[in-house]
Amino acid sequence: MNKIFNINLGGFPFTIDEDAYLNLNQYLKTIKSHFSDSEGCEEILEDIEIRLGELFNDQLKGRQIVTNNDLEAAISIMGKPEDFGAESIKDDHTHQKQSNTSDYKKSKSKKRLFRDPDNKVIGGVCSGLAAYFGLEDPLWIRIGWVVLFVTGGMGLFLYLILWIAMPVAKTSADKLAMRGENVNISSIAKQVENELYDISDKIGNTLKDFGSKKKG
Amino acid sequence: MKIENTKAQMRKGVLELCVLSIISKEEAYPSDIIKKLKEAKLIVVEGTLYPLLNRLKNASLLHYTWKESNAGPPRKYYHLTDEGSGFLTELNKTWDELNHAVSQSTKTNA
Repeated sequence: MNKIFNINLGGFPFTIDEDAYLNLNQYLKTIKSHFSDSEGCEEILEDIEIRLGELFNDQLKGRQIVTNNDLEAAISIMGKPEDFGAESIKDDHTHQKQSNTSDYKKSKSKKRLFRDPDNKVIGGVCSGLAAYFGLEDPLWIRIGWVVLFVTGGMGLFLYLILWIAMPVAKTSADKLAMRGENVNISSIAKQVENELYDISDKIGNTLKDFGSKKKG
Repeated sequence: MKIENTKAQMRKGVLELCVLSIISKEEAYPSDIIKKLKEAKLIVVEGTLYPLLNRLKNASLLHYTWKESNAGPPRKYYHLTDEGSGFLTELNKTWDELNHAVSQSTKTNA
């Protein structure tokens, strides 16, 4: 069983499986960020959406629902952004832009320092640092911080500075970059899945608590 | 040195010429252009075409009009502008020269 979404892709209406929907969304986002520097970004994206709509229509042949297979087939025809944008010849000016985008991409897949809102005690600074240094548990960083604070008071000052300086990891891509994982379609899909499980766990626990309180 | 890269470079070099020629014959919408380019094995993935069309349009070599279609939403039909026709004539000239130069040099090598 699978949840479905109704979408408007380039003017065509489609019913699409949840996983295919998430992947499609990610694919379009990657294309968007690939062309974010060029002036026709919105238009290119729109053209590509229209074409994807046509490709889906060709593939469906009377079937009702777009699945991941359809999406993969369409993507293999359309190609990944790294296969098309960089390939076409650009004049020198745009070429430079192109290389800037790829630099930007590289820096994106590198590890970045974020505050971790999911494991925070105060501001998520310690858990963010732990993720940055690849530690499983931010406990030791927290203990170190408390020691710093008790011994000289430097800890508080430093914490406040880092709290201000470190951005909070808002999106799935941020959270992946925080741990230094590569940001791509499958890793983001995994991240989103994990978050959904977390949420359903939390809801489940709250309901259980509620139930036991009622009984007690 | 990879032969595939060199081949891809050669194809890329003539892609603009081919896209402009296709559009010069009759107004075309992207899927038509793609079909022709694919038949000629000039492009591998379709995504290559959209940034190219956009670039040519921004350089005012092309413009497009929206037309209703029987199946699905309205389509963008591309035409050459006067500037585009001039550009294409120049490219054709260069292509002829290149063609001549290549056949000359490969002949003497053989």
